[in-house]
Amino acid sequence: MSKPEKYVPSEREQAFLEQVQNAKYNREIITGIKKFLSGDVPDDMKSFYSRSELDALSELVNSDRDVQKRMPVKITRHYFEQARNSLPMQVLIKASPKETVDLDGAEDPGKQMDYSPVEGLIHKYELGLIYVVSTCSAHCRFCYREELIAKKEVTRPDGSIAPKGLAQIGELIPYIREHNRLVAENGGRHPQTGREKLREILMSGGDPMVLGNRNIAAWLAALAEAGIESIRIGTKELAFFPDRFDDTFLDMLDRFHETYPETNLRIMVHFNHPDEFLKKAPDGTYVENANGSLQWLDNTRKAVKRLRQRNWINIDNQAPIIRGINNDPDALRIMQRELKRNGVENHYFFCGRDIVGHKAFNVPIEEAWTILNESQKGLSGVEAHARLSITHYKGKTEVAAVTNEPIPGLPGAENGVLIFKLLRSAADAPDRCKVTIVGRNPEAIWFSGYDDRVLFDEAELYSMYGINLKTMDRAA
Amino acid sequence: MTFVVTENCIRCKYTDCVEVCPVDCFYEGPNFLVIHPDECIDCADCEPVCPANAIVSDSDLQPHQEQFTLLNSELAELWNNIAAQKEPMPEAAKWDGVSGKLEYLQR
Repeated sequence: MSKPEKYVPSEREQAFLEQVQNAKYNREIITGIKKFLSGDVPDDMKSFYSRSELDALSELVNSDRDVQKRMPVKITRHYFEQARNSLPMQVLIKASPKETVDLDGAEDPGKQMDYSPVEGLIHKYELGLIYVVSTCSAHCRFCYREELIAKKEVTRPDGSIAPKGLAQIGELIPYIREHNRLVAENGGRHPQTGREKLREILMSGGDPMVLGNRNIAAWLAALAEAGIESIRIGTKELAFFPDRFDDTFLDMLDRFHETYPETNLRIMVHFNHPDEFLKKAPDGTYVENANGSLQWLDNTRKAVKRLRQRNWINIDNQAPIIRGINNDPDALRIMQRELKRNGVENHYFFCGRDIVGHKAFNVPIEEAWTILNESQKGLSGVEAHARLSITHYKGKTEVAAVTNEPIPGLPGAENGVLIFKLLRSAADAPDRCKVTIVGRNPEAIWFSGYDDRVLFDEAELYSMYGINLKTMDRAA
Repeated sequence: MTFVVTENCIRCKYTDCVEVCPVDCFYEGPNFLVIHPDECIDCADCEPVCPANAIVSDSDLQPHQEQFTLLNSELAELWNNIAAQKEPMPEAAKWDGVSGKLEYLQR
């Protein structure tokens, strides 16, 4: 990789950046199962893994089934303190031998490298995703960026093999400007790819909130200067270390807004379970307010409230539905209700991706849909905005409906059907909202589980791979 | 709980680590760098870029390197933060790999 051109900030940008202060944070991170094995952790953490759990993990060290080769273990004190009293949070954060029983999966889920014109950028839509850092304060065991976090080598479209790199301001900003210039000259569409203007950038990784304020500010300002209208920050820091959203961070955001008043910020947070932000009584029940709503952890609520006080900032939650963590309609109902009440929009729930080791985490697609649907019973309309999404190579796809009734006269629909709706097509935006209908398969955990029962494929989720309709197979 | 800069940085100070650190947790003395243990977020980005192989995870320290854990935490409190890469020390190549450099550490 050649070193990108040095990026020269504008005067306005420089003036903003000079005002930004970094602060120091002590997350009290514990990294590596070795520390738990050797007892080199604070006393109150020593029983976080049981002796038998540690023995089982230690047997796998340096074998093909070493859980840390797939995903290093990492936890903050804040998360540990909540997880002590929460089995779902323990499943999220503690390594388990189950993870490496079946290592089937894609090394680059969603073939993201096909959509990466510049190192560290995934450009699929009018929204681009950038990797700005390759770690988080703690590690979710089911992480679908495990290849980035664990610094694994992936094969690129040109055949070369290397770990996924991070985006560089000096390389990304010229790309955005050039893309948008070509789009403008060509009447709103890129002459080759047909894509629209890059209006929105999602800062991801890893978790951008582990970066210092100055580093985050440099990204925000450079993106705003390049004409980006909305910037997203994808973060789980509200769950891992909510004190990161401190005075110095908010002060930086306020100065950013003064400098770039037309740029909107969307904080994309990641709560999987209400245990991550609600207060629990010693008997394990949630602590209620007088009106029956539930009490939040003080620092998490403070962080959310202070962000929401700024009317140019939105907060949206999105999370995968993962076995043993949140495949629980009651937990998801409470989570959606409490998030919305506190100003956090419920955006997507995801089916787990086909990452390496996904069979330990994913619930079948139809079960995930049923769990979300059950969880939304009893919610008001505004609380039930979240949809179930599954990411197809073509683009973001909704699991729109699962029926129990057969469709009369349609072979393959005897047990009911599942309807996929392509929300946005990465390569070809006009395909929005086309659908694919498949016969039900309660075992399917990925698109491939329906290869033999495609009934209708307007969205071309299957025909793009040469997979025919079931009825055509019969005719042939 | 962190990465630790060990002896082979002394009199070399290549500072490639400083360039890749996402949280700017390196502190600079006259002829040595250290990592602030509370600020390090254990991303492991610095470990492979050190030309002197001087950065080690605190779980992987050899017995003779263990004294550097304390040295890093002490000196990080005394020294100034360094956030941008600079030229290595003039005789870095000569000193890279020389054993017994701890006696030359300047505070």
